[in-house]
Amino acid sequence: MSVVTSVNSTAATKPVRVPRRRTGNATAYLLVAPGVIWMLLCLILPIAMMVYVSFWTQTTFKIEPILTTKSWQLFFSSPTYIGALWTTIRIWLIVLASTFVVGYPTALFVGLFVRNKTLSTVLLVLCVIPFWTSFLIRVLAWRPMLGEQGAINIILQFAGIIRQPIEALLFTELSVVIGMTQIYCVFMVGPIAFMLGRIDPNVIEAARDLGAGFGKIFRSIILPLSMPGVVVGAIFVSVMVLGEFATSAALSGRKVNLLGNIIVTQVGSLKWAFAAVAGVVLTFVMAMVVSLFLRIVNLRQEL
Amino acid sequence: MRSKVLKPILAIYTGVFILFLYAPFLVLGVLSFQTGPEGGPQFPIIEWSTYWYRNIFGLTPPSRIAPLPIGESLVRSLTLAFMTMIVSSTLGVMSAQAFRKRFYGSGGVFYLIVLGMMVPGVLVGLGMALIANYAGIERTWWGTAFALHVVYTFPFAFLVMLAIFNRFDASVEEAAWSLGVSPFRTFRKVTFPLIFPGVLSAMLFAFTLSYDEFSRTLFSSGRYLTLPLAIYGTFSVEIHPNVFAFGVLTTLFSFALLSVYAVLMSASVRRARRLVLQEDAS
Repeated sequence: MSVVTSVNSTAATKPVRVPRRRTGNATAYLLVAPGVIWMLLCLILPIAMMVYVSFWTQTTFKIEPILTTKSWQLFFSSPTYIGALWTTIRIWLIVLASTFVVGYPTALFVGLFVRNKTLSTVLLVLCVIPFWTSFLIRVLAWRPMLGEQGAINIILQFAGIIRQPIEALLFTELSVVIGMTQIYCVFMVGPIAFMLGRIDPNVIEAARDLGAGFGKIFRSIILPLSMPGVVVGAIFVSVMVLGEFATSAALSGRKVNLLGNIIVTQVGSLKWAFAAVAGVVLTFVMAMVVSLFLRIVNLRQEL
Repeated sequence: MRSKVLKPILAIYTGVFILFLYAPFLVLGVLSFQTGPEGGPQFPIIEWSTYWYRNIFGLTPPSRIAPLPIGESLVRSLTLAFMTMIVSSTLGVMSAQAFRKRFYGSGGVFYLIVLGMMVPGVLVGLGMALIANYAGIERTWWGTAFALHVVYTFPFAFLVMLAIFNRFDASVEEAAWSLGVSPFRTFRKVTFPLIFPGVLSAMLFAFTLSYDEFSRTLFSSGRYLTLPLAIYGTFSVEIHPNVFAFGVLTTLFSFALLSVYAVLMSASVRRARRLVLQEDAS
Protein backbone atom coordinates (compact mmCIF):
# COMPACT_ATOMS: atom_id res chain seq x y z
CA MET A 1 0.00 0.00 0.00
CA SER A 2 2.79 2.39 0.86
CA VAL A 3 4.25 1.75 -2.59
CA VAL A 4 1.01 2.78 -4.23
CA THR A 5 0.76 6.03 -2.31
CA SER A 6 4.40 6.89 -2.83
CA VAL A 7 4.11 6.31 -6.57
CA ASN A 8 0.98 8.44 -6.71
CA SER A 9 2.43 11.27 -4.68
CA THR A 10 5.64 11.47 -6.70
CA ALA A 11 3.57 11.41 -9.87
CA ALA A 12 1.46 14.24 -8.57
CA THR A 13 4.41 16.44 -7.73
CA LYS A 14 6.44 15.62 -10.82
CA PRO A 15 4.42 15.91 -14.03
CA VAL A 16 7.34 14.30 -15.92
CA ARG A 17 6.41 10.97 -14.37
CA VAL A 18 2.88 10.99 -15.75
CA PRO A 19 3.50 9.08 -19.01
CA ARG A 20 5.32 6.34 -17.11
CA ARG A 21 2.40 5.97 -14.75
CA ARG A 22 0.05 5.57 -17.66
CA THR A 23 2.09 2.68 -19.05
CA GLY A 24 2.01 1.18 -15.56
CA ASN A 25 -1.78 1.41 -15.64
CA ALA A 26 -1.91 -0.14 -19.09
CA THR A 27 0.07 -3.11 -17.78
CA ALA A 28 -2.38 -3.44 -14.92
CA TYR A 29 -5.31 -3.55 -17.34
CA LEU A 30 -3.53 -6.07 -19.54
CA LEU A 31 -2.78 -8.26 -16.54
CA VAL A 32 -6.30 -8.15 -15.17
CA ALA A 33 -8.07 -8.44 -18.55
CA PRO A 34 -7.98 -12.26 -19.00
CA GLY A 35 -9.45 -12.82 -15.53
CA VAL A 36 -12.13 -10.19 -16.02
CA ILE A 37 -13.10 -11.54 -19.45
CA TRP A 38 -13.29 -15.07 -18.03
CA MET A 39 -15.53 -13.91 -15.20
CA LEU A 40 -17.79 -11.89 -17.50
CA LEU A 41 -18.23 -14.78 -19.95
CA CYS A 42 -18.52 -17.65 -17.47
CA LEU A 43 -20.11 -16.00 -14.44
CA ILE A 44 -22.07 -12.87 -15.35
CA LEU A 45 -23.31 -14.13 -18.71
CA PRO A 46 -24.68 -17.43 -17.28
CA ILE A 47 -26.55 -15.55 -14.54
CA ALA A 48 -27.95 -13.10 -17.10
CA MET A 49 -28.92 -16.03 -19.31
CA MET A 50 -30.74 -17.61 -16.38
CA VAL A 51 -32.80 -14.45 -15.86
CA TYR A 52 -33.54 -14.30 -19.60
CA VAL A 53 -34.58 -17.95 -19.90
CA SER A 54 -36.89 -17.64 -16.90
CA PHE A 55 -39.16 -15.64 -19.25
CA TRP A 56 -39.09 -18.18 -22.07
CA THR A 57 -42.06 -20.32 -23.04
CA GLN A 58 -41.88 -23.82 -21.62
CA THR A 59 -43.72 -26.64 -23.31
CA THR A 60 -43.56 -30.28 -22.32
CA PHE A 61 -40.71 -31.14 -24.61
CA LYS A 62 -38.77 -27.94 -25.22
CA ILE A 63 -38.37 -24.27 -24.47
CA GLU A 64 -38.75 -21.51 -27.03
CA PRO A 65 -37.40 -17.97 -26.81
CA ILE A 66 -40.89 -16.45 -26.82
CA LEU A 67 -41.13 -14.13 -23.84
CA THR A 68 -43.84 -14.88 -21.30
CA THR A 69 -44.34 -14.71 -17.53
CA LYS A 70 -46.09 -18.10 -17.42
CA SER A 71 -43.29 -19.87 -15.60
CA TRP A 72 -43.23 -17.13 -12.99
CA GLN A 73 -46.99 -17.35 -12.47
CA LEU A 74 -46.73 -21.10 -12.16
CA PHE A 75 -43.94 -20.81 -9.61
CA PHE A 76 -45.84 -18.43 -7.36
CA SER A 77 -49.16 -20.28 -7.66
CA SER A 78 -47.73 -23.72 -6.96
CA PRO A 79 -47.70 -24.80 -3.32
CA THR A 80 -44.70 -27.09 -4.03
CA TYR A 81 -42.48 -24.25 -5.17
CA ILE A 82 -43.64 -21.75 -2.57
CA GLY A 83 -43.19 -24.50 0.03
CA ALA A 84 -39.63 -25.02 -1.18
CA LEU A 85 -38.97 -21.31 -0.86
CA TRP A 86 -40.17 -21.29 2.75
CA THR A 87 -38.30 -24.50 3.56
CA THR A 88 -35.13 -22.95 2.18
CA ILE A 89 -35.57 -19.84 4.31
CA ARG A 90 -36.47 -21.87 7.42
CA ILE A 91 -33.51 -24.26 7.07
CA TRP A 92 -31.21 -21.32 6.38
CA LEU A 93 -32.32 -19.49 9.55
CA ILE A 94 -32.05 -22.62 11.71
CA VAL A 95 -28.61 -23.56 10.38
CA LEU A 96 -27.40 -19.98 10.71
CA ALA A 97 -28.48 -19.92 14.35
CA SER A 98 -27.09 -23.38 15.11
CA THR A 99 -23.70 -22.73 13.50
CA PHE A 100 -23.46 -19.53 15.54
CA VAL A 101 -24.46 -21.20 18.82
CA VAL A 102 -22.28 -24.26 18.23
CA GLY A 103 -19.33 -22.32 16.85
CA TYR A 104 -19.11 -19.25 19.08
CA PRO A 105 -17.83 -20.96 22.28
CA THR A 106 -15.11 -22.71 20.29
CA ALA A 107 -14.12 -19.43 18.65
CA LEU A 108 -14.12 -17.82 22.09
CA PHE A 109 -11.75 -20.48 23.40
CA VAL A 110 -9.43 -20.47 20.39
CA GLY A 111 -9.41 -16.73 19.83
CA LEU A 112 -9.45 -15.35 23.34
CA PHE A 113 -8.56 -17.94 25.96
CA VAL A 114 -5.71 -19.73 24.23
CA ARG A 115 -2.77 -17.39 24.50
CA ASN A 116 -0.33 -19.97 23.16
CA LYS A 117 0.06 -19.30 19.42
CA THR A 118 1.01 -22.90 18.59
CA LEU A 119 -1.96 -24.38 20.41
CA SER A 120 -4.47 -22.08 18.72
CA THR A 121 -2.97 -22.90 15.32
CA VAL A 122 -3.18 -26.63 16.10
CA LEU A 123 -6.83 -26.26 17.12
CA LEU A 124 -7.70 -24.35 13.94
CA VAL A 125 -5.87 -26.92 11.80
CA LEU A 126 -7.82 -29.68 13.58
CA CYS A 127 -11.02 -27.89 12.55
CA VAL A 128 -9.89 -27.65 8.92
CA ILE A 129 -8.64 -31.23 8.43
CA PRO A 130 -12.14 -32.68 7.80
CA PHE A 131 -12.31 -30.45 4.73
CA TRP A 132 -9.73 -32.69 3.14
CA THR A 133 -12.39 -35.33 2.74
CA SER A 134 -14.78 -35.02 -0.14
CA PHE A 135 -17.84 -32.93 0.70
CA LEU A 136 -20.17 -35.70 -0.45
CA ILE A 137 -18.43 -38.32 1.66
CA ARG A 138 -18.76 -36.05 4.69
CA VAL A 139 -22.48 -35.73 4.05
CA LEU A 140 -22.83 -39.46 3.53
CA ALA A 141 -20.93 -40.15 6.77
CA TRP A 142 -23.94 -38.91 8.73
CA ARG A 143 -26.08 -41.81 7.58
CA PRO A 144 -24.38 -44.48 9.72
CA MET A 145 -24.27 -41.92 12.54
CA LEU A 146 -27.95 -41.05 12.66
CA GLY A 147 -29.70 -44.16 11.35
CA GLU A 148 -31.95 -46.38 13.40
CA GLN A 149 -29.01 -48.72 13.96
CA GLY A 150 -26.62 -45.81 13.80
CA ALA A 151 -23.84 -44.91 16.18
CA ILE A 152 -25.80 -42.33 18.18
CA ASN A 153 -28.73 -44.64 18.81
CA ILE A 154 -26.42 -47.51 19.76
CA ILE A 155 -24.47 -45.34 22.19
CA LEU A 156 -27.62 -43.90 23.75
CA GLN A 157 -29.12 -47.36 24.14
CA PHE A 158 -25.90 -48.74 25.55
CA ALA A 159 -25.79 -45.91 28.08
CA GLY A 160 -29.37 -46.74 29.03
CA ILE A 161 -30.68 -43.30 28.19
CA ILE A 162 -33.22 -44.57 25.69
CA ARG A 163 -34.88 -47.95 25.20
CA GLN A 164 -36.17 -47.66 21.66
CA PRO A 165 -33.93 -46.25 18.93
CA ILE A 166 -34.89 -42.72 17.96
CA GLU A 167 -36.23 -42.92 14.43
CA ALA A 168 -36.53 -39.18 14.00
CA LEU A 169 -32.77 -38.79 13.68
CA LEU A 170 -32.40 -39.80 10.06
CA PHE A 171 -34.36 -38.78 6.96
CA THR A 172 -35.96 -35.80 8.65
CA GLU A 173 -35.43 -32.06 8.69
CA LEU A 174 -33.41 -32.58 11.86
CA SER A 175 -30.83 -34.73 10.12
CA VAL A 176 -30.41 -32.11 7.41
CA VAL A 177 -29.88 -29.43 10.05
CA ILE A 178 -27.36 -31.58 11.96
CA GLY A 179 -25.44 -32.40 8.81
CA MET A 180 -25.33 -28.81 7.59
CA THR A 181 -24.33 -27.51 11.02
CA GLN A 182 -21.37 -29.86 11.13
CA ILE A 183 -20.27 -29.08 7.59
CA TYR A 184 -20.57 -25.30 7.81
CA CYS A 185 -19.89 -24.35 11.44
CA VAL A 186 -16.14 -24.09 10.80
CA PHE A 187 -16.84 -21.18 8.46
CA MET A 188 -18.39 -19.44 11.47
CA VAL A 189 -15.59 -20.37 13.89
CA GLY A 190 -12.74 -19.09 11.70
CA PRO A 191 -13.76 -15.45 11.19
CA ILE A 192 -15.01 -15.06 14.78
CA ALA A 193 -11.80 -16.51 16.25
CA PHE A 194 -9.83 -14.17 14.01
CA MET A 195 -11.69 -11.08 15.27
CA LEU A 196 -11.48 -12.24 18.91
CA GLY A 197 -7.74 -12.76 18.55
CA ARG A 198 -7.37 -9.09 17.67
CA ILE A 199 -8.98 -7.83 20.90
CA ASP A 200 -6.41 -6.05 23.03
CA PRO A 201 -6.17 -8.01 26.34
CA ASN A 202 -5.56 -4.71 28.15
CA VAL A 203 -9.10 -3.59 27.37
CA ILE A 204 -10.55 -6.67 29.07
CA GLU A 205 -8.06 -6.30 31.92
CA ALA A 206 -9.11 -2.69 32.40
CA ALA A 207 -12.80 -3.65 32.47
CA ARG A 208 -12.04 -6.31 35.05
CA ASP A 209 -10.08 -3.86 37.18
CA LEU A 210 -13.09 -1.58 37.10
CA GLY A 211 -15.14 -4.42 38.56
CA ALA A 212 -16.97 -5.80 35.53
CA GLY A 213 -17.96 -9.48 35.66
CA PHE A 214 -17.55 -11.82 32.69
CA GLY A 215 -21.16 -11.35 31.59
CA LYS A 216 -20.75 -7.60 31.48
CA ILE A 217 -17.37 -7.85 29.70
CA PHE A 218 -18.86 -10.27 27.18
CA ARG A 219 -21.84 -8.09 26.41
CA SER A 220 -20.11 -4.75 26.17
CA ILE A 221 -16.64 -5.65 24.85
CA ILE A 222 -16.25 -9.16 23.42
CA LEU A 223 -19.52 -9.53 21.52
CA PRO A 224 -19.48 -6.08 19.85
CA LEU A 225 -15.84 -6.43 18.85
CA SER A 226 -16.44 -9.88 17.35
CA MET A 227 -19.46 -8.74 15.32
CA PRO A 228 -17.54 -8.25 12.03
CA GLY A 229 -16.36 -11.86 12.35
CA VAL A 230 -19.91 -13.02 13.02
CA VAL A 231 -21.14 -11.16 9.93
CA VAL A 232 -18.41 -12.58 7.68
CA GLY A 233 -19.13 -16.08 9.02
CA ALA A 234 -22.86 -15.54 8.58
CA ILE A 235 -22.35 -14.47 4.96
CA PHE A 236 -20.25 -17.58 4.25
CA VAL A 237 -22.77 -19.91 5.91
CA SER A 238 -25.81 -18.20 4.32
CA VAL A 239 -24.46 -18.30 0.79
CA MET A 240 -23.53 -21.96 1.10
CA VAL A 241 -26.70 -23.13 2.86
CA LEU A 242 -29.02 -21.24 0.48
CA GLY A 243 -27.33 -22.90 -2.51
CA GLU A 244 -27.47 -26.37 -0.96
CA PHE A 245 -29.15 -29.42 -2.39
CA ALA A 246 -26.82 -32.36 -1.80
CA THR A 247 -27.16 -32.52 1.99
CA SER A 248 -30.94 -32.38 1.84
CA ALA A 249 -30.98 -34.98 -0.93
CA ALA A 250 -28.73 -37.36 1.00
CA LEU A 251 -30.05 -36.95 4.55
CA SER A 252 -33.74 -36.14 4.23
CA GLY A 253 -34.79 -39.03 2.03
CA ARG A 254 -36.33 -36.49 -0.39
CA LYS A 255 -38.59 -35.12 2.33
CA VAL A 256 -36.87 -31.75 2.55
CA ASN A 257 -37.01 -29.91 -0.76
CA LEU A 258 -34.91 -26.78 -0.96
CA LEU A 259 -34.91 -24.42 -3.93
CA GLY A 260 -31.66 -26.10 -4.97
CA ASN A 261 -33.43 -29.48 -5.07
CA ILE A 262 -36.23 -27.94 -7.14
CA ILE A 263 -33.65 -26.71 -9.66
CA VAL A 264 -32.02 -30.14 -9.84
CA THR A 265 -35.31 -31.98 -10.39
CA GLN A 266 -36.53 -29.44 -12.96
CA VAL A 267 -33.29 -29.71 -14.92
CA GLY A 268 -33.55 -33.48 -14.66
CA SER A 269 -36.95 -33.35 -16.38
CA LEU A 270 -35.69 -30.75 -18.90
CA LYS A 271 -37.99 -28.01 -17.54
CA TRP A 272 -35.33 -25.37 -18.07
CA ALA A 273 -37.61 -22.35 -17.72
CA PHE A 274 -38.93 -23.46 -14.31
CA ALA A 275 -35.41 -24.23 -13.15
CA ALA A 276 -34.39 -20.73 -14.25
CA VAL A 277 -37.28 -19.17 -12.32
CA ALA A 278 -36.26 -21.04 -9.16
CA GLY A 279 -32.68 -19.94 -9.81
CA VAL A 280 -33.63 -16.27 -10.11
CA VAL A 281 -35.70 -16.47 -6.92
CA LEU A 282 -32.73 -18.04 -5.13
CA THR A 283 -30.37 -15.36 -6.46
CA PHE A 284 -32.77 -12.68 -5.24
CA VAL A 285 -33.07 -14.20 -1.75
CA MET A 286 -29.29 -14.49 -1.52
CA ALA A 287 -28.67 -10.92 -2.65
CA MET A 288 -31.17 -9.68 -0.04
CA VAL A 289 -29.53 -11.71 2.72
CA VAL A 290 -25.99 -10.60 1.90
CA SER A 291 -26.91 -6.92 1.56
CA LEU A 292 -28.80 -7.15 4.85
CA PHE A 293 -25.70 -8.47 6.61
CA LEU A 294 -23.51 -5.83 5.02
CA ARG A 295 -25.91 -3.20 6.31
CA ILE A 296 -25.60 -4.44 9.91
CA VAL A 297 -21.83 -4.06 10.00
CA ASN A 298 -19.75 -1.83 7.78
CA LEU A 299 -17.08 -4.38 6.93
CA ARG A 300 -14.72 -1.98 5.19
CA GLN A 301 -14.62 0.18 8.28
CA GLU A 302 -14.27 -2.67 10.75
CA LEU A 303 -11.74 -4.94 9.07
CA MET B 1 -7.87 -13.76 29.54
CA ARG B 2 -7.81 -15.37 32.97
CA SER B 3 -10.71 -17.29 34.28
CA LYS B 4 -10.83 -20.21 36.67
CA VAL B 5 -14.23 -21.61 35.82
CA LEU B 6 -14.84 -20.54 32.27
CA LYS B 7 -11.60 -21.64 30.67
CA PRO B 8 -11.86 -25.36 31.55
CA ILE B 9 -15.52 -25.39 30.52
CA LEU B 10 -14.69 -23.86 27.16
CA ALA B 11 -11.74 -26.23 26.75
CA ILE B 12 -14.02 -29.23 27.29
CA TYR B 13 -16.57 -27.72 24.93
CA THR B 14 -13.92 -27.29 22.25
CA GLY B 15 -12.95 -30.94 22.69
CA VAL B 16 -16.57 -32.00 22.22
CA PHE B 17 -16.82 -29.68 19.21
CA ILE B 18 -13.82 -31.34 17.56
CA LEU B 19 -15.33 -34.75 18.32
CA PHE B 20 -18.52 -33.53 16.59
CA LEU B 21 -16.44 -32.66 13.54
CA TYR B 22 -14.67 -36.01 13.46
CA ALA B 23 -17.21 -38.52 14.80
CA PRO B 24 -19.06 -39.22 11.54
CA PHE B 25 -15.80 -39.82 9.86
CA LEU B 26 -14.57 -42.23 12.52
CA VAL B 27 -17.82 -44.18 12.22
CA LEU B 28 -17.41 -44.23 8.46
CA GLY B 29 -13.86 -45.51 8.80
CA VAL B 30 -14.93 -48.30 11.14
CA LEU B 31 -17.84 -49.36 8.94
CA SER B 32 -15.62 -49.49 5.87
CA PHE B 33 -14.17 -52.71 7.36
CA GLN B 34 -17.59 -54.36 7.41
CA THR B 35 -17.71 -57.82 5.91
CA GLY B 36 -19.05 -58.20 2.41
CA PRO B 37 -20.93 -58.59 0.26
CA GLU B 38 -23.79 -59.29 2.69
CA GLY B 39 -22.76 -56.72 5.35
CA GLY B 40 -24.67 -53.46 5.16
CA PRO B 41 -23.60 -49.90 5.90
CA GLN B 42 -24.64 -50.08 9.56
CA PHE B 43 -23.72 -51.54 12.93
CA PRO B 44 -23.01 -54.06 14.22
CA ILE B 45 -19.85 -55.11 12.42
CA ILE B 46 -20.58 -58.72 11.49
CA GLU B 47 -16.98 -59.53 10.82
CA TRP B 48 -13.92 -57.37 10.21
CA SER B 49 -12.68 -57.58 6.66
CA THR B 50 -11.10 -55.62 3.83
CA TYR B 51 -13.73 -56.85 1.41
CA TRP B 52 -14.97 -53.41 0.38
CA TYR B 53 -11.46 -52.13 -0.26
CA ARG B 54 -10.82 -55.08 -2.56
CA ASN B 55 -14.24 -54.45 -4.10
CA ILE B 56 -13.17 -50.93 -5.13
CA PHE B 57 -10.15 -52.27 -6.97
CA GLY B 58 -12.23 -54.99 -8.61
CA LEU B 59 -10.47 -57.79 -6.73
CA THR B 60 -13.59 -59.45 -5.40
CA PRO B 61 -15.66 -62.05 -7.21
CA PRO B 62 -18.66 -60.44 -8.95
CA SER B 63 -21.71 -60.07 -6.74
CA ARG B 64 -25.03 -58.27 -7.02
CA ILE B 65 -23.31 -55.09 -5.82
CA ALA B 66 -21.69 -53.34 -8.75
CA PRO B 67 -18.27 -51.86 -8.05
CA LEU B 68 -18.12 -48.06 -7.91
CA PRO B 69 -17.57 -46.50 -11.35
CA ILE B 70 -14.46 -44.71 -10.23
CA GLY B 71 -11.62 -45.71 -12.57
CA GLU B 72 -12.21 -43.33 -15.45
CA SER B 73 -13.95 -40.67 -13.40
CA LEU B 74 -10.89 -40.49 -11.15
CA VAL B 75 -8.65 -39.82 -14.16
CA ARG B 76 -11.08 -37.16 -15.41
CA SER B 77 -11.23 -35.45 -12.02
CA LEU B 78 -7.46 -35.39 -11.67
CA THR B 79 -6.99 -34.01 -15.19
CA LEU B 80 -9.67 -31.40 -14.63
CA ALA B 81 -8.16 -30.39 -11.28
CA PHE B 82 -4.74 -30.11 -12.87
CA MET B 83 -6.00 -27.93 -15.74
CA THR B 84 -7.94 -25.75 -13.31
CA MET B 85 -4.91 -25.43 -11.04
CA ILE B 86 -2.68 -24.17 -13.86
CA VAL B 87 -5.18 -21.67 -15.28
CA SER B 88 -6.51 -20.40 -11.94
CA SER B 89 -3.13 -19.81 -10.36
CA THR B 90 -1.86 -18.08 -13.53
CA LEU B 91 -4.92 -15.81 -13.60
CA GLY B 92 -4.61 -15.28 -9.84
CA VAL B 93 -0.96 -14.22 -10.03
CA MET B 94 -1.64 -11.92 -13.00
CA SER B 95 -4.62 -10.21 -11.40
CA ALA B 96 -2.93 -9.84 -8.01
CA GLN B 97 0.11 -8.37 -9.74
CA ALA B 98 -2.20 -5.84 -11.42
CA PHE B 99 -3.72 -4.96 -8.05
CA ARG B 100 -0.38 -3.86 -6.65
CA LYS B 101 -1.07 -0.52 -8.33
CA ARG B 102 -4.39 1.13 -7.86
CA PHE B 103 -6.10 1.50 -11.22
CA TYR B 104 -9.42 2.95 -12.31
CA GLY B 105 -12.15 0.38 -11.70
CA SER B 106 -10.10 -1.81 -9.38
CA GLY B 107 -12.89 -1.87 -6.79
CA GLY B 108 -15.39 -3.23 -9.30
CA VAL B 109 -12.93 -5.78 -10.63
CA PHE B 110 -12.23 -6.97 -7.08
CA TYR B 111 -15.91 -7.61 -6.41
CA LEU B 112 -16.35 -9.26 -9.82
CA ILE B 113 -13.58 -11.74 -9.05
CA VAL B 114 -14.72 -12.45 -5.48
CA LEU B 115 -18.27 -13.00 -6.75
CA GLY B 116 -16.98 -16.15 -8.44
CA MET B 117 -16.50 -17.92 -5.10
CA MET B 118 -19.72 -16.59 -3.59
CA VAL B 119 -22.33 -17.44 -6.22
CA PRO B 120 -23.70 -20.94 -5.51
CA GLY B 121 -22.59 -23.63 -7.91
CA VAL B 122 -26.10 -24.70 -8.74
CA LEU B 123 -26.85 -21.23 -10.17
CA VAL B 124 -23.76 -20.81 -12.37
CA GLY B 125 -24.06 -24.46 -13.38
CA LEU B 126 -27.64 -23.89 -14.49
CA GLY B 127 -26.70 -20.68 -16.33
CA MET B 128 -23.82 -22.37 -18.08
CA ALA B 129 -26.02 -25.29 -19.14
CA LEU B 130 -28.60 -22.84 -20.54
CA ILE B 131 -25.93 -21.01 -22.52
CA ALA B 132 -24.50 -24.26 -23.84
CA ASN B 133 -27.97 -25.40 -24.94
CA TYR B 134 -28.72 -22.05 -26.56
CA ALA B 135 -25.41 -21.76 -28.37
CA GLY B 136 -25.36 -25.41 -29.34
CA ILE B 137 -22.13 -26.12 -27.47
CA GLU B 138 -21.79 -29.63 -26.18
CA ARG B 139 -21.43 -29.78 -22.41
CA THR B 140 -18.17 -31.46 -21.44
CA TRP B 141 -16.10 -31.79 -18.31
CA TRP B 142 -13.05 -30.33 -20.07
CA GLY B 143 -15.02 -27.42 -21.60
CA THR B 144 -18.03 -25.94 -19.85
CA ALA B 145 -17.30 -27.58 -16.47
CA PHE B 146 -13.66 -26.53 -16.66
CA ALA B 147 -14.71 -22.91 -17.30
CA LEU B 148 -16.83 -22.98 -14.13
CA HIS B 149 -14.10 -24.63 -12.07
CA VAL B 150 -11.84 -21.71 -12.96
CA VAL B 151 -14.61 -19.24 -12.06
CA TYR B 152 -14.75 -20.91 -8.63
CA THR B 153 -11.04 -21.38 -7.86
CA PHE B 154 -9.54 -18.29 -9.48
CA PRO B 155 -10.88 -16.00 -6.69
CA PHE B 156 -9.17 -18.16 -4.05
CA ALA B 157 -5.87 -18.03 -5.93
CA PHE B 158 -6.33 -14.29 -6.39
CA LEU B 159 -6.95 -13.67 -2.67
CA VAL B 160 -3.96 -15.81 -1.65
CA MET B 161 -1.69 -13.91 -4.04
CA LEU B 162 -3.13 -10.57 -2.91
CA ALA B 163 -2.16 -11.44 0.67
CA ILE B 164 1.33 -12.48 -0.48
CA PHE B 165 1.90 -9.27 -2.46
CA ASN B 166 0.70 -7.24 0.53
CA ARG B 167 3.73 -8.38 2.51
CA PHE B 168 6.05 -8.22 -0.48
CA ASP B 169 9.09 -5.96 -0.30
CA ALA B 170 9.09 -4.09 -3.61
CA SER B 171 12.59 -2.65 -3.12
CA VAL B 172 14.26 -5.76 -4.61
CA GLU B 173 12.27 -5.26 -7.80
CA GLU B 174 13.15 -1.60 -7.89
CA ALA B 175 16.82 -2.57 -7.50
CA ALA B 176 16.52 -4.86 -10.54
CA TRP B 177 14.75 -2.17 -12.57
CA SER B 178 17.36 0.44 -11.68
CA LEU B 179 20.01 -1.96 -12.94
CA GLY B 180 18.22 -1.96 -16.28
CA VAL B 181 16.62 -5.41 -16.09
CA SER B 182 13.43 -5.59 -18.15
CA PRO B 183 10.15 -5.88 -16.19
CA PHE B 184 9.41 -9.35 -17.56
CA ARG B 185 12.87 -10.64 -16.67
CA THR B 186 12.59 -9.01 -13.26
CA PHE B 187 9.33 -10.84 -12.67
CA ARG B 188 10.83 -14.15 -13.75
CA LYS B 189 14.12 -13.86 -11.90
CA VAL B 190 13.25 -11.79 -8.83
CA THR B 191 9.53 -11.54 -8.12
CA PHE B 192 8.42 -15.07 -9.00
CA PRO B 193 10.99 -16.95 -6.89
CA LEU B 194 10.05 -14.76 -3.93
CA ILE B 195 6.30 -15.29 -4.27
CA PHE B 196 6.65 -18.99 -5.12
CA PRO B 197 5.47 -20.28 -1.71
CA GLY B 198 2.31 -18.23 -2.22
CA VAL B 199 1.85 -19.61 -5.73
CA LEU B 200 2.17 -23.09 -4.28
CA SER B 201 -0.63 -22.37 -1.80
CA ALA B 202 -2.79 -20.92 -4.58
CA MET B 203 -2.19 -24.05 -6.65
CA LEU B 204 -3.06 -26.29 -3.71
CA PHE B 205 -6.30 -24.38 -3.14
CA ALA B 206 -7.25 -24.54 -6.82
CA PHE B 207 -6.44 -28.22 -7.15
CA THR B 208 -8.28 -29.44 -4.06
CA LEU B 209 -11.33 -27.21 -4.59
CA SER B 210 -11.65 -28.33 -8.21
CA TYR B 211 -11.03 -32.00 -7.36
CA ASP B 212 -13.89 -31.92 -4.86
CA GLU B 213 -16.15 -29.54 -6.79
CA PHE B 214 -19.53 -30.98 -7.46
CA SER B 215 -22.48 -28.59 -7.69
CA ARG B 216 -20.96 -26.60 -10.58
CA THR B 217 -20.06 -29.79 -12.39
CA LEU B 218 -23.48 -31.41 -12.02
CA PHE B 219 -25.21 -29.46 -14.81
CA SER B 220 -22.20 -28.52 -16.89
CA SER B 221 -20.21 -31.69 -17.40
CA GLY B 222 -22.49 -33.56 -19.76
CA ARG B 223 -22.27 -37.28 -20.29
CA TYR B 224 -18.96 -38.23 -18.71
CA LEU B 225 -18.89 -38.17 -14.92
CA THR B 226 -16.22 -36.73 -12.69
CA LEU B 227 -15.46 -38.43 -9.39
CA PRO B 228 -17.81 -36.36 -7.17
CA LEU B 229 -20.62 -36.95 -9.68
CA ALA B 230 -19.97 -40.69 -9.52
CA ILE B 231 -20.26 -40.53 -5.73
CA TYR B 232 -23.43 -38.42 -6.01
CA GLY B 233 -24.86 -41.12 -8.21
CA THR B 234 -24.73 -43.54 -5.27
CA PHE B 235 -26.91 -41.20 -3.17
CA SER B 236 -30.15 -42.10 -4.83
CA VAL B 237 -29.65 -45.86 -4.72
CA GLU B 238 -28.94 -48.01 -1.70
CA ILE B 239 -25.49 -47.25 -0.30
CA HIS B 240 -22.95 -49.95 0.49
CA PRO B 241 -19.79 -49.83 2.60
CA ASN B 242 -17.72 -49.54 -0.58
CA VAL B 243 -18.57 -45.82 -0.59
CA PHE B 244 -17.18 -45.63 2.95
CA ALA B 245 -14.01 -47.47 1.98
CA PHE B 246 -13.67 -45.12 -0.93
CA GLY B 247 -14.08 -42.13 1.41
CA VAL B 248 -11.22 -43.43 3.54
CA LEU B 249 -9.04 -43.83 0.45
CA THR B 250 -9.77 -40.32 -0.89
CA THR B 251 -8.96 -38.86 2.51
CA LEU B 252 -5.63 -40.68 2.53
CA PHE B 253 -5.03 -39.32 -0.97
CA SER B 254 -5.76 -35.78 0.27
CA PHE B 255 -3.26 -36.23 3.09
CA ALA B 256 -0.67 -37.48 0.61
CA LEU B 257 -1.26 -34.33 -1.43
CA LEU B 258 -0.97 -32.20 1.69
CA SER B 259 2.34 -33.86 2.58
CA VAL B 260 3.72 -33.20 -0.92
CA TYR B 261 2.71 -29.58 -0.48
CA ALA B 262 4.35 -29.42 2.96
CA VAL B 263 7.58 -30.93 1.59
CA LEU B 264 7.69 -28.51 -1.35
CA MET B 265 6.87 -25.61 0.94
CA SER B 266 9.56 -26.37 3.49
CA ALA B 267 12.07 -26.94 0.66
CA SER B 268 11.34 -23.53 -0.81
CA VAL B 269 11.48 -21.88 2.62
CA ARG B 270 14.81 -23.61 3.32
CA ARG B 271 16.19 -22.46 -0.03
CA ALA B 272 15.13 -18.88 0.70
CA ARG B 273 16.85 -19.08 4.10
CA ARG B 274 20.02 -20.43 2.47
CA LEU B 275 20.03 -17.51 0.03
CA VAL B 276 19.75 -15.09 2.92
CA LEU B 277 22.64 -16.82 4.69
CA GLN B 278 24.77 -16.62 1.54
CA GLU B 279 24.04 -12.92 1.28
CA ASP B 280 25.02 -12.41 4.89
CA ALA B 281 28.25 -14.33 4.39
CA SER B 282 29.36 -12.41 1.32
